[in-house]
Amino acid sequence: MYAVAEVVDESCVAHKGCRLCIMYCPEADTIRFDKEKKVAFVVEQRCKGCELCVVVCNAAKHNAIELVHR
Amino acid sequence: MGKEKIKINDEFYDIMPPEYQELVEEATYGKESRGWKDVGEAKELIEEHSLCAGCPESIAFRYVLACLPKPEDTVMVGSTGCTSLVFPHVAVHNIHSLFGNQNAIASGLKRTLALRFPEKVKDVVVLAGDGATVDIGLDMTLQSWFRQEKFTTICFDNELYANTGGQESGLMQKGFVGKMAPAGKKFDKVPLPEIARNSGCHYVAVMTVSKPNRVEKAIRNAILVAREIGPTYIQLYTPCILEIGKQMMEGLQEMRDSEGPGKRFEFKEYVSDEAKVFLDEMDAERKRKKKALRAARAK
Ligand SMILES: Cc1ncc(C[n+]2csc(CCOP(=O)(O)OP(=O)(O)O)c2C)c(N)n1
Ligand code: SF4
Ligand code: SF4
Ligand code: SF4
Ligand SMILES: [Mg+2]
Repeated sequence: MYAVAEVVDESCVAHKGCRLCIMYCPEADTIRFDKEKKVAFVVEQRCKGCELCVVVCNAAKHNAIELVHR
Repeated sequence: MGKEKIKINDEFYDIMPPEYQELVEEATYGKESRGWKDVGEAKELIEEHSLCAGCPESIAFRYVLACLPKPEDTVMVGSTGCTSLVFPHVAVHNIHSLFGNQNAIASGLKRTLALRFPEKVKDVVVLAGDGATVDIGLDMTLQSWFRQEKFTTICFDNELYANTGGQESGLMQKGFVGKMAPAGKKFDKVPLPEIARNSGCHYVAVMTVSKPNRVEKAIRNAILVAREIGPTYIQLYTPCILEIGKQMMEGLQEMRDSEGPGKRFEFKEYVSDEAKVFLDEMDAERKRKKKALRAARAK
């Protein structure tokens, strides 16, 4: 079983300019900005489940990322 | 130049790996204003790699690659260590040097490129760990600075030999007990930034990678000054979370805890008089361009 990050679209405030998770995820091209939906999304195959995105998103009180098991 | 060199022949397009197609479609080669803000929207110049989950070296690598002023005309020189696990997945020309030899290789490379392509700008950027830069390669590091070789040296300082399990490095802090350095470090962290300044570097900066804006500015300054004037040095704190006993998600906090006033990685910058004149001119030029652009738009 692997843990990977998942963005909850309704809570994500990327449309207001937030890019915290995209900025601090250690992996390249892993959290990206969906230009149509204006939310961040995780490219699951690239995610190593480190949880750093959850930490930065929660610290900004957006609570928009969860770790899910696959 | 830009993307000309990597364009795919139409006949072969569909059989190329999707990652390569993405590079051709969306990577920021040839974009003058490239910087960390492209991440998340443009294809990055780094693929999947085998660094530990949450490793700050990995965050630093993303910023450095996003900020190179001219990746298509850059050759990076790496050395043995955790960073060398990333280079095979990087879409910028790079050379792997024998552990410690990176600044010697870069010296020869930079001179050869200048002879081979006299009409072009070719940047050479060394990126290596603290063990490679400060211990085993110190001779080569210093000699290249004394000789005023025109390239940038970036040290990913995680204060130990991470790739071989946590031995002591010259940049380890005094008193630190590593997994493979049980007696504890007996002497002070080598003051390499100060040594760099006294050895002829024209731009020196020390920082963690908690602030991408700051990293971007330093990388650009260092590379442009190296192009025009002489050697430059950047030391980035990229803690090895594995060896200092942190959890995967704690790397950012560790960096923030180490950069406050008086801490080991408080932001420091040194610019020689010559480099200062050059950077000020560049700044003024950028402002002029911006103003002209705004005026043109207003018309
Ligand atoms: C000539 C040579 N000596 C020793 C080694 C073994 N070795 C491999 S990685 C490494 C330490 C690397 O430390 P550092 O440069 O700080 O990079 P890090 O792994 O910490 O990022 C050593 C000693 C080697 N590969 N080649
Ligand atoms: S940090 Fe949270 S709110 Fe901000 S872009 Fe990422 S998921 Fe959205
Ligand atoms: S868990 Fe780690 S690797 Fe996965 S998206 Fe979040 S920050 Fe990136
Ligand atoms: S051993 Fe340390 S420096 Fe190397 S990849 Fe793992 S966390 Fe990063
Ligand atoms: Mg090291």
